[in-house]
Amino acid sequence: MTAYLTHFLVMVAIYAILALSLNLLIGYSGIFSLAHAAIYGIGAYASALAALKLGLGFWGGMVVAASVGAFASALVAIPSLRVAGDYYVVASFGLQVVVLAVFMNWTDLTNGLAGLPGIPRPRLFGWVIDQPFEYVFLAAAFALLTWAICWRLTNSAFGRVLQAIRDDEIAAVAMGKNVVLVKIVIACISSALGAMAGSLYAHYITYINPSSFSLHESIFIATLVILGGSERLAGPIVGAFVLLAVPELLKFLAIPDAIAAPMRQIIYGALLIVFMLVRPEGILGRARDGR
Amino acid sequence: MAAEAAVLRVQDLSRSFGGIQAVDECTFDVRPGVITGLIGPNGAGKTTVFNLITGFLGANHGSIRLQGTEILGLSPHQVERLGVVRTFQHLRLWNKMSVLENVLLGCATPAGENVFGLFLRAGTVRAEEQRARDRAMEVLSLFGLTDRAHELAEDLAYAEQKLLSMARIFATDAPVLLLDEPTSGLDSESLGRIIPMVRRLVDHGKTILLIEHNMELISELADQVVFLHQGRVLAAGPPAEITSDPALTEIYFGV
Amino acid sequence: MDLFLQLAATGFVVGSLYVLCALGWGLIYGTTLHFHVAHGAVFTLAAYYAYAAQKFLGLPLAIAVLGAIVAAALSGMLIDLLIYQPLERRGAIRTTLFIASLGLLTLIENLLAIIFAPDPLRMDVGRLAEAVQLGPVFLTRLHLLSVATALLGFLALMAFLKYSLWGQAIRAVSSSPEMARTVGIDLRRVHLLTYAVGSAISAPAGILLAMDVGVEPYRGTTFVLLASVAVIMGGIGSIPGALLGALFLALLENLGVWKIPSEWQSSISFGAFLIFIVVRPRGLFGRKIQSAEI
Repeated sequence: MTAYLTHFLVMVAIYAILALSLNLLIGYSGIFSLAHAAIYGIGAYASALAALKLGLGFWGGMVVAASVGAFASALVAIPSLRVAGDYYVVASFGLQVVVLAVFMNWTDLTNGLAGLPGIPRPRLFGWVIDQPFEYVFLAAAFALLTWAICWRLTNSAFGRVLQAIRDDEIAAVAMGKNVVLVKIVIACISSALGAMAGSLYAHYITYINPSSFSLHESIFIATLVILGGSERLAGPIVGAFVLLAVPELLKFLAIPDAIAAPMRQIIYGALLIVFMLVRPEGILGRARDGR
Repeated sequence: MAAEAAVLRVQDLSRSFGGIQAVDECTFDVRPGVITGLIGPNGAGKTTVFNLITGFLGANHGSIRLQGTEILGLSPHQVERLGVVRTFQHLRLWNKMSVLENVLLGCATPAGENVFGLFLRAGTVRAEEQRARDRAMEVLSLFGLTDRAHELAEDLAYAEQKLLSMARIFATDAPVLLLDEPTSGLDSESLGRIIPMVRRLVDHGKTILLIEHNMELISELADQVVFLHQGRVLAAGPPAEITSDPALTEIYFGV
Repeated sequence: MDLFLQLAATGFVVGSLYVLCALGWGLIYGTTLHFHVAHGAVFTLAAYYAYAAQKFLGLPLAIAVLGAIVAAALSGMLIDLLIYQPLERRGAIRTTLFIASLGLLTLIENLLAIIFAPDPLRMDVGRLAEAVQLGPVFLTRLHLLSVATALLGFLALMAFLKYSLWGQAIRAVSSSPEMARTVGIDLRRVHLLTYAVGSAISAPAGILLAMDVGVEPYRGTTFVLLASVAVIMGGIGSIPGALLGALFLALLENLGVWKIPSEWQSSISFGAFLIFIVVRPRGLFGRKIQSAEI
């Protein structure tokens, strides 16, 4: 039972990082990305390959992961954010598709569908972090770090600019804000953090394959953000708890596996629709009519 | 009216859409210390001229010079940096943000808006934020919006929203202010708040170009008037001259 | 050379499906500015409607297909009526609408996967499966029907938009909703009509594809992505642009396979998209995307 619980907590922490980082884009800047699972995957693969092929440890791998994630994001963000928000959605959709294709087909590098096993656990001053509850602390520490970074970004003049962009981008430009640059910067930060989560995941599970980083996963992460509410930082964490409980609930109801996967997606899809209709600001957000 | 050198000089400005010439060889000057009004019937091209000056639209040809520097072709945020800022007819306030935040976004906070500065220069950022807040409260006080500082922009009365849209551009310290229909949709009581406010902006050294739809208000609001029709400048001069011209009034009210 | 011709022919066949999809999606996007990803669900539903009409109602193929197209048009209208219009009434921003659309796409695809099982279901297409040889190129009658349908669909849509009163209303709203409202056009009705027409024109693509390779729940997502890329490349608001964009993508993908391994097919479209938006964001014939009227 404890093994199960610690695993759940580690995954909540990792998904909290993913949700917090995606929230910077969707919640604070009003930019929708469908590529967050791809970024998560880039982080996981970059870190794993850095460890397996270059002999870098967890910490080095994380730096590589964050850099590659930010770079991939910049490649897509720079051409598409210059134009308009909708182009970025399409570009991110495309990035998701291409990155997954790379994971599955560039077998020399990624081992394709077979995946990468044997990813080393993190070491801290010679001490290997391989007990589940130790990993909970590590993951929680990174979640806290992510939260702190997001807090600093959003409670500042920079955060004001982000909100202004979301509320009325044209007014922001008229008031002298370099909106395109801000959007590109936030996209890169969001991706660096998301890739960091991938690195954490890779060194925890010690085996990764492309199926964990599909479009379905991107939609799941977006659902976490939207459900939890994008206006308060606690929201994505609440969202992570709630949504990770859904598959467990389905197992509890003894739904056969073949149906369970599409069933989960139906629940996520339905939640998205209902929330947009009833409470677009999510569970914790400020209600439109009240305060 | 002093014949000072023009702060903003528009020359032969032209812009067409499809087959329609929206702005046609427009030439006029905007002088400091004087309120210049752009008037004309619907569709005359007034908002298009604003969009051209502020970089929201590109021109087919012509020139727009700010203190001698060519600004045609620059993007809107670059134009603002050089000192020209505008309001919008549909206000475009940041509705989900507070009145104070709307004005703060006009105040100078370069360290806090820079991601590296945010994490590496905490002390500088903090001091800058405090200065910005003080300045924002001053501006709110000038516009009579102090009590509303923490309310959401969307919860304000319309007249107050108009004041806020002016307050926020005033906070930028830009010397040239473009006001897009500052009096539209206002009742006479509210006009009594807005019109003096526009005049006070001149006292603070601002150069003002505004769009005004109402011929009757133009004499109160502007010192110099540029009459636009079908994209062309038909006349320019003091309001009394323009409003007393029967040919122009006929065009304005339609035949 | 033979291979080249075969690939080009396949490109046109696949292209005809992309064209139908792009025309429908592009019409909807250009007129309503809704990023209607659920269009992929309508595309998929059309195929299931046709399959169900043939298998469970025993209808002849032609009737089943016609019925499916009507049902798809109704489905598109219902989506606007029940989801998008209520959202707009509540002042939803475009991202909110997109999220709801994404939720709907996910929901419908997976619901179909549970009801019908995710494996492809085959339809009885009779003589359409027969092979036809044009010089060195081998195609089926179905493939030729696809190309004919796309061509007809394009011409019919152009005629509708140019000559019919409703078509002109759609064009008015597409070029400026503000102006259209001023001259008394009922925006909600025009939106509903746009969804009906847009869904009806893309429905055949889903059905033709299903007739060729079987009915599957998850293809709509890929097609709607390709449709959006085609529309952006061709220029938003331009119907001929959507046609050219779709054909270009299909030919690029299929001819690209000549030199590039087939697993990378999807990357080709995406790469082309990125290059296009750097070089010409407006697309071939489009107006620049404006977030709103200033």
